[in-house]
Amino acid sequence: MRKVTTINLNHNAYQIDEDGFEALRAYLESAERALANNPDRAEILSDLEQAIADKCRLAHGPYKTVVSAAEIDRILKEMGPVAGASEESTARAAGPGEAPAAGAPGAGIGGRGPGPRRLYRIREGQKWCGVCTGLAAYAAVDVTWVRVAFVMLAIFGGGFGLLAYVVLIFVMPVAHTPEELSAAHGQPFSAQELVDRAKKKVTTGVRSAGLAAG
Amino acid sequence: MDLSEKFGPIRKGLLEFAVLRVVAAEKLYVAEMLQRLAGTEFATQEGTLYPLLSRLRREELVEYEWQESDSGPPRKYYKLTEPGRRALDELAGYWQHLNDTLTRLGN
Repeated sequence: MRKVTTINLNHNAYQIDEDGFEALRAYLESAERALANNPDRAEILSDLEQAIADKCRLAHGPYKTVVSAAEIDRILKEMGPVAGASEESTARAAGPGEAPAAGAPGAGIGGRGPGPRRLYRIREGQKWCGVCTGLAAYAAVDVTWVRVAFVMLAIFGGGFGLLAYVVLIFVMPVAHTPEELSAAHGQPFSAQELVDRAKKKVTTGVRSAGLAAG
Repeated sequence: MDLSEKFGPIRKGLLEFAVLRVVAAEKLYVAEMLQRLAGTEFATQEGTLYPLLSRLRREELVEYEWQESDSGPPRKYYKLTEPGRRALDELAGYWQHLNDTLTRLGN
């Protein structure tokens, strides 16, 4: 006697036994974590679920209604770990192409106001520690002007420019995530996808079936 | 010398290039892309490909459309956009340039 769980993967119902269910849940949870800062998180997760569902369907013989834990393991191995922000570069998420400037207010899915602008060091395009790139993003001016100002201050300001730079290295945090990068540029970062995902949590129902596993 | 390990990071960086190339040739869905890449040095998995495709789509280099399939649910078929084609040309040019440099350095 083994407990079998019916799961809903992107609107496809499958029955898997407990071990398989645990493995699947662990996989999807780690995928959620890896994609925590990805603006397309909800869509990627839904794609992944669909891919798993497709593989389950392939694994199904016509007389089999339950996907075994071993099959789930094989499927998840085939899927491979989900590349997170560190492996799959999302640094360009704050690039000029990403600014939803064309999005007419009110036309969106709602709730996309202007994002908060924060002071971060930006590693992308940095000369030294990313202070100037961060200041330039914050003030929305060309980074060259900021650099010129610092050099002038360093030369004519009795070393003040240098001192200010060093202080700012310690004061300004580095923008690591796309979210922080968006904030550094004062661009909105949508939380809508995260909310969508939370609403669309994998629905589970428990059903028991004697000897059906395998 | 384990070349496969030595060039691991480079292959990883070039995966985007490889995917753009595969998609440039024809409209494909993910399982087909994986098939095209399988057996090459750029063999990859869904866990890597989906996040990569989503970024390429955000950068407007690829786009997809839903198409019905004979078996199962509709699929997302990806294709290159016009900027994607330009980006691919640029990548190919740069790659050629790197190759030329490496060849020239020894001479």
